[in-house]
Amino acid sequence: MSLRPDNRLLDAPMQPVTCDTCQGQVEVRKSSWEQTSIQWHDDAVERCVERRAASPRPGPNGATFQGCEALRRTVATLAVGGDLDVQSEESDA
Amino acid sequence: MTGTETTHEPEVRAIESDGAPARYARGWHCLGLEKDFADREPHQVLAFGQKLVVFAGSDGVVHVLDAFCRHMGGDLSQGTVKGDEIACPFHDWRWGGDGRCKQIPYARRVPLRARTASWPTLVQDGMLFIWNDPEGKAPPADVTIPRIPGVEDPEWTDWVWYTTVIEGANCREIVDNVVDMAHFFYVHYSFPTYFKNVFEGHTATQFMNGVGREDLVRPGSSGRKSQHATGNSSVATYHGPSFMIDDLVYHYADGVDVPSTLINCHYPIDGNSFVLQYGVIVKKLPGLADEQADAMARKMGDFIRLGFEQDVEIWRTKARIDNPLLCEEDGPVYQLRRWYEQFYVDAAEVQPEMTERFEFEIDTTRPTEAWKREVEENIAAGRTALSAARKPAGQHA
Repeated sequence: MSLRPDNRLLDAPMQPVTCDTCQGQVEVRKSSWEQTSIQWHDDAVERCVERRAASPRPGPNGATFQGCEALRRTVATLAVGGDLDVQSEESDA
Repeated sequence: MTGTETTHEPEVRAIESDGAPARYARGWHCLGLEKDFADREPHQVLAFGQKLVVFAGSDGVVHVLDAFCRHMGGDLSQGTVKGDEIACPFHDWRWGGDGRCKQIPYARRVPLRARTASWPTLVQDGMLFIWNDPEGKAPPADVTIPRIPGVEDPEWTDWVWYTTVIEGANCREIVDNVVDMAHFFYVHYSFPTYFKNVFEGHTATQFMNGVGREDLVRPGSSGRKSQHATGNSSVATYHGPSFMIDDLVYHYADGVDVPSTLINCHYPIDGNSFVLQYGVIVKKLPGLADEQADAMARKMGDFIRLGFEQDVEIWRTKARIDNPLLCEEDGPVYQLRRWYEQFYVDAAEVQPEMTERFEFEIDTTRPTEAWKREVEENIAAGRTALSAARKPAGQHA
């Protein structure tokens, strides 16, 4: 199957973000203040300090790393400072 | 409509589909509970566009072979287990679990080339898995199914297991569910309030928290309030293309948490049908008799069955769509399919973007507002979520 592009990314693409803590480079998109998409790459995963320090959560799916708080803070700071777009306009419909 | 084109009007959106894939996913597929194959009878399994035979030899080891005898094409699934081998009903050729013909009772020797296809198997936590790989390679050591702690723990129930054949849909439909937050409200009567996906390597995870739906309980029903779940927390991961473990905790009004583990797995019959299986184990509450705990697991399973039946109704009539039109409150359908694609290309063709970590957290503000309103409307109208979902009689075909 040929993979199609996400129609939402056509309207507003992911933007590069560098983590304040580990300098890992990822791409981020925020459709609203509460929504976040993060595309990691293998080198950023390897750099991530929290991920290295994380121990698995209990349970059969505990190996999945839920997310990095330092990166979350970086993204929030950029969004609040206007350095990362937040697509939050409401439609009238 | 006037037919006059205006520049403001967007074009009609076309639904695109390349059709079901020409091959089957590489990975571990669960065929069901091992005990259901352990009776030393041959079991026919239609999977991956083929007919397979599953049988346990006298040593108790379960084997999976192509069902058609390489001699004259007899169907081994209609044969007999003799010793550790499956005997063909046509001429009694004896096939071992390794795919080699061990004996032909009426022949001096077995011909060279007497080898059929065999599938690598794994028996773990009561379930039987087979490894499918169109390239015919062995399963890599790092592609595994995690152990489930509750199984064989006396504090947990045994598996309550369900099997159902889905016709008229490719198995991608069920995999899509892992990112589809809104359908959990509309199809499964749950109320998600937190929803996040993480894809990485061969795993795809859904973190979901929800609240209980007050329109699920029929007003005036005899159930005690403390027995209604007020919320749930779930971490559900696909380990490979077809096997999901859902670590699910229901929270109750009296402060009691009930941990459970849910399996949601499938294997393709062909490009347009698949076998869906799901199973539940529940941690027994202190003071609850085993039968009560089993009944609780069964009740939970029956509720899940109801949800899947609703899914099936959707799949039966929906279009396969490769270009879904998403709103911002939808999950990462495209990125999920990019992840899923890794199982449909040769191992050497897996691209970094298929396996690199991707996170997507949904903003649940607007869905929560809308769904609260809908639940309130149902309650005000004396409807339950189930009766509201039922079609008016006139719309039945």
